[in-house]
Amino acid sequence: MSDALEALLVVVDGRATLAAPRPGLWRDGPPEGALVRAGTSLGALEVLGRQLPLVAPRGAFGVVTELPDGRHFARRPVDFGARLMVLDPEGIAGAATLEAGAADADASGPVFRTPLGGRFYARPSPDDPVFVKPGDTLKGGETVALIEVMKTFNRVRYDGEPATVVRVVPADGVDLVAGDVLLALE
Amino acid sequence: MTVGFHRVFVANRGEVAARIARTCDRLGVTPVFGVSEADASAPWVQGREVVRLGPARAAQSYLDLERVVQAAVQARCSALHPGWGFLAENVRFAALCEQHGVTFVGPPVSAMQLMGKKTPAKRAMGLAGLSLIPGSDGILADADDAERVAREVGYPVLLKAESGGGGRGMRIARSESEIRAAFEDASAEALACFADDRVYLEKLIEKGRHVEVQLLADRYGNVVHLGERDCSVQRNHQKLIEESPAPGLSPDELARTLAAAVRACQQIGYVGAGTMEFLLDEGGTLRFMEMNTRLQVEHCVSEARSGLDLVELQLQAAAGQPLRVTQDDVRLDGHAIECRINAEDPEQGWKPSPGVLTRFDLPAQVPGAVRVDTHVEAGYEVPPFYDSLLCKVIAKGPDRDAACDTLIDALSRMKVEGVATTIPMHLAILADADFRAHRYDTRAIPGWEA
Repeated sequence: MSDALEALLVVVDGRATLAAPRPGLWRDGPPEGALVRAGTSLGALEVLGRQLPLVAPRGAFGVVTELPDGRHFARRPVDFGARLMVLDPEGIAGAATLEAGAADADASGPVFRTPLGGRFYARPSPDDPVFVKPGDTLKGGETVALIEVMKTFNRVRYDGEPATVVRVVPADGVDLVAGDVLLALE
Repeated sequence: MTVGFHRVFVANRGEVAARIARTCDRLGVTPVFGVSEADASAPWVQGREVVRLGPARAAQSYLDLERVVQAAVQARCSALHPGWGFLAENVRFAALCEQHGVTFVGPPVSAMQLMGKKTPAKRAMGLAGLSLIPGSDGILADADDAERVAREVGYPVLLKAESGGGGRGMRIARSESEIRAAFEDASAEALACFADDRVYLEKLIEKGRHVEVQLLADRYGNVVHLGERDCSVQRNHQKLIEESPAPGLSPDELARTLAAAVRACQQIGYVGAGTMEFLLDEGGTLRFMEMNTRLQVEHCVSEARSGLDLVELQLQAAAGQPLRVTQDDVRLDGHAIECRINAEDPEQGWKPSPGVLTRFDLPAQVPGAVRVDTHVEAGYEVPPFYDSLLCKVIAKGPDRDAACDTLIDALSRMKVEGVATTIPMHLAILADADFRAHRYDTRAIPGWEA
């Protein structure tokens, strides 16, 4: 939609704040706890009687926290730079880092995503080498990660086309949700 | 009696924003300021209600029609004062305000539209009896037409774009050999700059002086004038010094023009404050140039002589109240003179000089003698995004020499450090013999060469 507005993204100490891009009446924003990433609807900004869809910009990723104080107005007047919400990238189990979210949104080549959510481990045990590192060639069937779900370790096997690893996206030990990008490939 | 508005949106910045707020405070009206990010903590909005419009760039803040009107609506303002510059003479903006229930403090859209177009404005003013600069009757049909009209009015002539401004789409022809090329060039430049190739022709008046008339009108056909101002000390059409009364103007010519200007306002249905600008030619005739449908920077000169508050009168007119003064009530006394102090270096070709004001000591204000209007203070950083006006100093005295001496005294007490200012230039002009004897026109600055 050509009329869609992008919220402003301000990152301070890894905490992403989404702010209003211009004066208007903000309505139908996401509830606290909702997951927001690039392109997620943030409701609408009413400007001179028109409702302009408001979406999260590139690089936004996290769970909605710290909505504006006070009563929940149906339409809240906001001005340029007014804080709409803070995104907490670690707010729910399985959320990846802000950087990972950004990489997900920006990924241009093929990616491999985790089929299940949980804590990500890049190596079989703390003293072992990593399963995969950038430059490795994958043919299919290799174990690329361990995902810990409710104290159970699950091997994640690569099942795609033969490819070369460009980057292992999550940092060792972070929490992922199903569908998060594990590997950037080419 | 109240002014009729409780909350007024100030759709401007800097000196004029501070000026509007001063009258609002006195009248018990709450001003709400639309500001850019660069001005969000500026001195004139400290402790005030503000709505941030956008980033520093004016195109995304002060010049964005929809942002400004939406901000006024959501700040629950029933009126909007546009100040000067930015959107003050934008017809679409005025219409958008009215459409969304915000009273635009200015003339009706129809009068703004009429005076915003060059040849219709000229025709309307001619009908009211104002003298015009001789030239074509409206738009020129072609180069042959230009040649015919130029022969009638006599060379040199000026070709001007109908939709022009800022000196673009203008060409001078000094003889018949130049007229065709001048017509083609002006027309081509007008098309490129304003997407409108229509041009008209006027006789070029070279040794003119700039004289303007301050007018005020209500919705019921009552119009008064607050006399004239001379603004002949200019650089590139930027006024530097303004004063009233205008030196060297015959009382008969002034009276005739003031009466015609008042009549013209009535005829076009003008409301609020407005200024008609004239060129005083060598024969002593005031010839209409254009009308500014807004408050002007130099309005303080007329306030000093009349004792009236023009912003208050603007708000009253916008609220639909009848004028509270008749022409007989308007008493203009003494001589008032104003200079604009800009953050520019007059020694270096008026190079803009943004930066931090490490020192900003103002002369003392003396009621009836010295007035200082400013929006800045020591410690303020003059941003590079906007115009360079720092403050205006207005002096009044029983006659012109006394007013000039008072102004010199006030300026020499002013101490500004951190940025270059135009104060040295003003001191040189005010002390100059040619300036004191009125031997100057709009082409050169008396007492200053740089």
